[in-house]
Amino acid sequence: MDFNEAREFLKKRLLKDKTTLYGFEEEKEQIKNLFVRTAKHSESNSAILIGPKKSGKSTLLNSVLFDLVQDNVFVSNTLVIYLNGLIHIDDRLALKSTTVQMNLEKEVEGKTFSSFSENLSFLLSCLKAGKDLQRLIFIIDEIDLFCTHHNQTLLYNLFDVAQSAQTPICVLGITSRLDVIELLEKRVKSRFSHRQIFMLPDSENLQGFANIFRSLLLLPSTKESNIISQKFVNIPQKVYKQYKIPFLRKHFDPKEFSFSKKYINEWNKMIEQLTSKKKVLNVLEILYSTNASLGPLKRFLYEILSTDEAKINENDISKTVEHLYFEDDKVKLINGLSVLEICLLISIKHHSEIYDNDPFNFEIILTRYNKFSFKSSTMQSIDREVVLKAFENLKYQEFIAAIGHESKMQKEYQMHKLLILPDHIERALQKYHNLPTEIDHWSKSCII
Amino acid sequence: MSRRAKENTLKRTNSSETLKVVFKRVDEDKLDPKSPGKWSVRLNKINEDDTKLLNSIENIQTSDINQETPKKRSESTYTPRRSRILNKIDEEQNSEVSPSKRTRRTSILVIENNADPCTPTIKGIPARRKSILKTPTVQKTNTPRRSIQFRENVEECGYVKKSAKDKLAIDDEEDTSDIALTRKRLHVAAVPNSLPCREKEYMEIYSFLEASLTDKIGGCIYVSGVPGTGKTATTTAVIRALKAESEKGRINKFDFVEINGMRTTEPRKAYVEIHRQLTGKTVTAEQAYNLLDKRFSTQTNRRGNNLTILLVDELDILCNKRQDVVYNLLNWPNMSSSHLIVVTIANTMDLPERILMGKVTSRLGLTRLTFQPYSHKQLQEIVLSRLSGLDCFNNDAIQLVARKVAALSGDARRALDICRRSSEIAETEAKEENKKAMVSMLHVQKALNEMISCTKVKAVKACSKFEKYFLQAVCMEVERTGIEEVTFYGVYRQMKTVTALHGFPLPTTEKALGISTRLGASRLIISEHARKDVHQKILLNISADDFYYATQVNTEE
Repeated sequence: MDFNEAREFLKKRLLKDKTTLYGFEEEKEQIKNLFVRTAKHSESNSAILIGPKKSGKSTLLNSVLFDLVQDNVFVSNTLVIYLNGLIHIDDRLALKSTTVQMNLEKEVEGKTFSSFSENLSFLLSCLKAGKDLQRLIFIIDEIDLFCTHHNQTLLYNLFDVAQSAQTPICVLGITSRLDVIELLEKRVKSRFSHRQIFMLPDSENLQGFANIFRSLLLLPSTKESNIISQKFVNIPQKVYKQYKIPFLRKHFDPKEFSFSKKYINEWNKMIEQLTSKKKVLNVLEILYSTNASLGPLKRFLYEILSTDEAKINENDISKTVEHLYFEDDKVKLINGLSVLEICLLISIKHHSEIYDNDPFNFEIILTRYNKFSFKSSTMQSIDREVVLKAFENLKYQEFIAAIGHESKMQKEYQMHKLLILPDHIERALQKYHNLPTEIDHWSKSCII
Repeated sequence: MSRRAKENTLKRTNSSETLKVVFKRVDEDKLDPKSPGKWSVRLNKINEDDTKLLNSIENIQTSDINQETPKKRSESTYTPRRSRILNKIDEEQNSEVSPSKRTRRTSILVIENNADPCTPTIKGIPARRKSILKTPTVQKTNTPRRSIQFRENVEECGYVKKSAKDKLAIDDEEDTSDIALTRKRLHVAAVPNSLPCREKEYMEIYSFLEASLTDKIGGCIYVSGVPGTGKTATTTAVIRALKAESEKGRINKFDFVEINGMRTTEPRKAYVEIHRQLTGKTVTAEQAYNLLDKRFSTQTNRRGNNLTILLVDELDILCNKRQDVVYNLLNWPNMSSSHLIVVTIANTMDLPERILMGKVTSRLGLTRLTFQPYSHKQLQEIVLSRLSGLDCFNNDAIQLVARKVAALSGDARRALDICRRSSEIAETEAKEENKKAMVSMLHVQKALNEMISCTKVKAVKACSKFEKYFLQAVCMEVERTGIEEVTFYGVYRQMKTVTALHGFPLPTTEKALGISTRLGASRLIISEHARKDVHQKILLNISADDFYYATQVNTEE
């Protein structure tokens, strides 16, 4: 069925397409210029790309590299080396990975190096491809983690090579911390060229956001998909073998799907209609106000597309937003508790109200609960061990958490604190099925 | 021959007036070190003040106008620094090299002012080139690390030529426009032969090293200064000059060893590196230490072992808790027959007193040289000297950069990077508008904004609505409690009021925790792990005024 295929196409594209960039044209040009100047004019450079999480930094890089690997000259005399602060947690590991990416394992096999910089300069000197010096582009993801390594040797050596014209290299760091420069040691800071490229999302442009929403849902015409897949064909084999850039491992090829022209037009018309509806714009505003980046938007779209129906309508969209953004998980969890546990939660809530968020232990709560249960007519008396078990259940579900070290005290006397807001308990009780009215009345006032 | 001796010969030959001989290389475009080259020579009168110039005119063995060989030196000058024993040695040396005994004529003098640019010959023997060492503009040798791989049109200015094997065969796009050339020359790596504004420091290091080499005694000098003030560049320039001199036989031969604290993994590996540079063999740290100890501390027959100049860059990294490496490195020059001269470079002026132990500090000695950060005039001069011959840069723009950087740090690298960035901006602009590129104040302003910027305000402006409300709630909670550290619970309570004021529904605690994590990752606030849930502690990392300014400007626009 056509709409199933359309859905699959769109979902796959949302997940796998790492090379299409929306917006940020100027930043893309800047980075492209840096790389081109290293590759063609052998000029050494260093820069750091800074932007909040999920704003599209890796996508920007992937799209720049995607454009550049189409060019044979670039591929033949440049080598891209990819390091990640979360993977290479030590400078030694980073250097090992660099050796592997340069394909110089055999040359390094028997040798021992007395220092990091000797190893690095050996690798750089080995890289003469024929009679030329090969240019290197170092892409360092999560560069703020490299700043925590001992002496920051990797950063020092890379920036030093960039500033002393040994081999033309370009060092590009990516991070989400705005103050990453303050993390650098003063010598490393002096060698870094202070070139910072910011990827700050535009938070005042709702219309632009709506346009991106629309373009993520439109199906491309056959001509457009031909252009994109041709680009993938153009990438030389060498790139797949040598470069460890993430986007090469999973990429989206539109050629795997084919649609009839009629269906493409039909679908696109529906999407256009959808985006003009007011409800949808409201929904987009909610998304945009929470997070102006594209990551959450893509997740939201994925959720919308995960239905069986042939068309997307705006009610579905509003429902999804409700479900994702306005329903509180804690409230739902509380609704699943037994009545005894609810009673314990209510006593904890009363205790927090009276004693202003002081920590509590099992005995205090038990006393308060007993006061209520002796007075109430419907409650039967429950053994102390059962109540303790209910209390522990609350702890396992992380409604309360222990303060301090657990093993030093008897568990009844261990102090705990509440991890949910009293508001959650109130809201949950409103929806609770078959709650005995006495407990309901008790929950409303803490004086009883 | 010692300097004083030469000075005396110079003085004696011309009774009426002292003459100044100035050699200047004319054909700067063919920088082949082996060719004799074309020289123009002038003679001028000198004053007594020009002793420095005289000192630097090394081996000009001047003769009379009639070109007689100078007489043997009969009297000995007494230099206050040297001992009498050394004086005697000097005399013997001088007697050995008196010109009358020499087979080859080594001196030339051309007497006319602005003579024809050709090497003067005496009696048909081609004379050797002489050089003036005050500003070593004629040195064309490459130091191993700092070779520059720029194309020919950069060499017009007399920069160091790249060695043939480093030449890039891939022909870069022909981009010889002025602005491209400006950009290339402003690269930090394009170190010129003579560093402007560092002549005094150059001369101090030069005289210290030269004296130690001539006297054949070891010594130690400590160079300090904030990063980017030209310490390593000046020292390597001095070493280059000394190497050239020693190759011509005017100074004793020496070995040059360079280590860098940041490049060694641990301090003991420094021995391995030094040994490798001296002998070419790699051994373990223990072995290297023993061999070096034997070499530098025992009084064995040196057997023609040369003097060694050891350059220790980034000395503070080598100072660990035990300080045994730095102790040994500074102990060896102080021994009687070590022939080791150590030049140490670090950042802080008081490193010896603060970090080093007393015994190490005393071995370091009191020969200290501090490189002051550049003033704005000096930075201007540095940039202008690199751009000599090109007129793409507005002079006011250079002054703006110089003043800004001088106020911040006085770091030359910073100034050059900013100028380079502004020339890039001008270049892209000129390409779009298709006219000749001139770097003006606007471009420099743009580059300054990029590189010395207050990014926090921009980042706050780029936050989404709820993120701004969250920050506002944090500010309000800080005001309410009066303590900088607030809990998420309090912030969430404030958020209720803030969102109600603006007519938006309150986000759930999960979404609010997500917002707080995102802001923490960008370091607009500092927050604990979200695992702490409601009791997460939050610190505001920007000032409340910055935040209010950022949000206010938004509403005004």
